[in-house]
Amino acid sequence: MDTQARKVSVLDRYDFLLRRLHSLTGIVPIGVFLIFHLLTNSSIGWGTLDKRNVERAGLGGHAGVAAFNHDVHFINDTLPFLIFIEITLWASIAFHSVYGFYIATTGRSNVKRYGYQGNWRYVLQRVSGYIGILFILYHVGTLRWGWTFLVPGGTRWSAEYAASTMALALRGSVENVTVAGVVVSLGYMLGVSMLVFHFANGLWTAAISWGLTVSAAAQKRWGYVCTALGVGLMLMAWSAVAAFATLDVDRAESTERNMQKGSLTERAGRP
Amino acid sequence: MTGPTQPKPSAADSRSVRFRIARCDGPGKPTRWETFAVKIDRESAGANVISCLQHIAAHPVTVEGKRTTPVVWDSVCLEEVCGACTMVINGKVRQSCSALIDQIAPNDGDEVTLEPMSRFPVIRDLWVDRSRVFHNLKRVKAWVPIDGTYHLGSGPREPAKAQDTRYTLSTCMSCGCCLEACPQFTRQDDPAAWDTTFVGAHALSQARLFNMHETGKQLAGERLEALTGPGGVADCGNAQNCVKVCPKNIPLTESIAAMGRAATIHSVTRFFKK
Ligand code: SF4
Ligand code: SF4
Ligand code: FES
Repeated sequence: MDTQARKVSVLDRYDFLLRRLHSLTGIVPIGVFLIFHLLTNSSIGWGTLDKRNVERAGLGGHAGVAAFNHDVHFINDTLPFLIFIEITLWASIAFHSVYGFYIATTGRSNVKRYGYQGNWRYVLQRVSGYIGILFILYHVGTLRWGWTFLVPGGTRWSAEYAASTMALALRGSVENVTVAGVVVSLGYMLGVSMLVFHFANGLWTAAISWGLTVSAAAQKRWGYVCTALGVGLMLMAWSAVAAFATLDVDRAESTERNMQKGSLTERAGRP
Repeated sequence: MTGPTQPKPSAADSRSVRFRIARCDGPGKPTRWETFAVKIDRESAGANVISCLQHIAAHPVTVEGKRTTPVVWDSVCLEEVCGACTMVINGKVRQSCSALIDQIAPNDGDEVTLEPMSRFPVIRDLWVDRSRVFHNLKRVKAWVPIDGTYHLGSGPREPAKAQDTRYTLSTCMSCGCCLEACPQFTRQDDPAAWDTTFVGAHALSQARLFNMHETGKQLAGERLEALTGPGGVADCGNAQNCVKVCPKNIPLTESIAAMGRAATIHSVTRFFKK
């Protein structure tokens, strides 16, 4: 490196910066967003515990649906600079996944020979990244970008009917869960599990990469924290998927109608 | 790896161990497998892989009775301090001089597989070219700068606590086990790629060793410059295989995190200083 002027690619020149940026974007904003997103989604379950949601839902209404819809409205109507948040988030996801693919090409897994737990997590971190980004594209594509041809029953998600249309997009029909609905629901289970693992494990390795946890004991302690966080998020994610897939769509819809206090716009795309 | 099981004494206290060896006649030549049988008895008590290889070199006849060339390997110290004899034994990288037959093949008919390390170019058979291990130590200037034209006098005092940490780090023998097991340290046959690909756990740990040394510290900035460059500390994927396979039990993952911390601080201060 000293005397020879060797051609160094941009990826090489900014190797350290890019890798630290990759690590950072995984936590802020993506990881932070993931936590809030799962909190919102799982409100379909824990929302029933909050009295205010029971009031919001009205007589015969579903408090979980009220909680979830309330959160969705809060995000869409009240949160300031939503467009900037979205742009930052998408730019981060794009960078994190594209650069993540590049990082994956620089290594070669050897779990067959060295089947240590840490080595398995190294592999799973990459696999969960691949599956995770595919899931994110499906999730956002079908619910936000109108890829309804990929949704069982062709449901179009709407913010006004956030809970009932989400439930339909997982179930495929009001009455029962169709075969396609089962496939998509299981796909959601897999997708969220991969993303939560990716985040929890990434949080653990990031602390080593940045040099926060230096001693083996500190790495272990931080490992417990990350495991606890991962388990918590996993439970939230699973309970949300399960709750939506088993939701009483009619009751959810009437709750949503109640919440809109008579402003009855027809839901598009309901099969 | 077979645990240290007690050798079962077989008939007449002698047993036959088979060695399945990856053979290669030279750089770029294809690999073929040959199997040899070695008798282990009272006379060869305490046999290790190298002593068996010596036997095979003296009698290069395969189990099929075919005469072949003697198997080539590298070794120097024969007491696990030089690292030269490192190879892949039964699928795991380790030193062949300290791989005792009673432990890895305790029973009659047991087979031992020997392969050269996969991250380095093969010179012949089990002998590989480990130049890149040393090249990467040069990248991080893993030495104390004391060369000069006059006597420099005695150096600064070394704190006892730092000596403790440094002693363990200093036992690294550049064997390459940590590199062989690392998923981020891939084989690069073209030396031009050595400066931009991952330095490896041993170099990160040696950079820590010399950054802790009171005189070695003089080069700390240059070492961190290398570690925040291409193939530096950020290229570690935290699989933590290195620490599992290091024969000297060097806390490599602690060294990696320590250098990660130093690199974080170095890059932030550099941003505001320059
Ligand atoms: S750190 Fe351990 S495994 Fe790596 S070269 Fe040194 S002694 Fe060998
Ligand atoms: S922790 Fe880093 S250096 Fe050690 S084996 Fe894993 S990737 Fe390689
Ligand atoms: S010959 Fe030196 S370590 Fe085995």
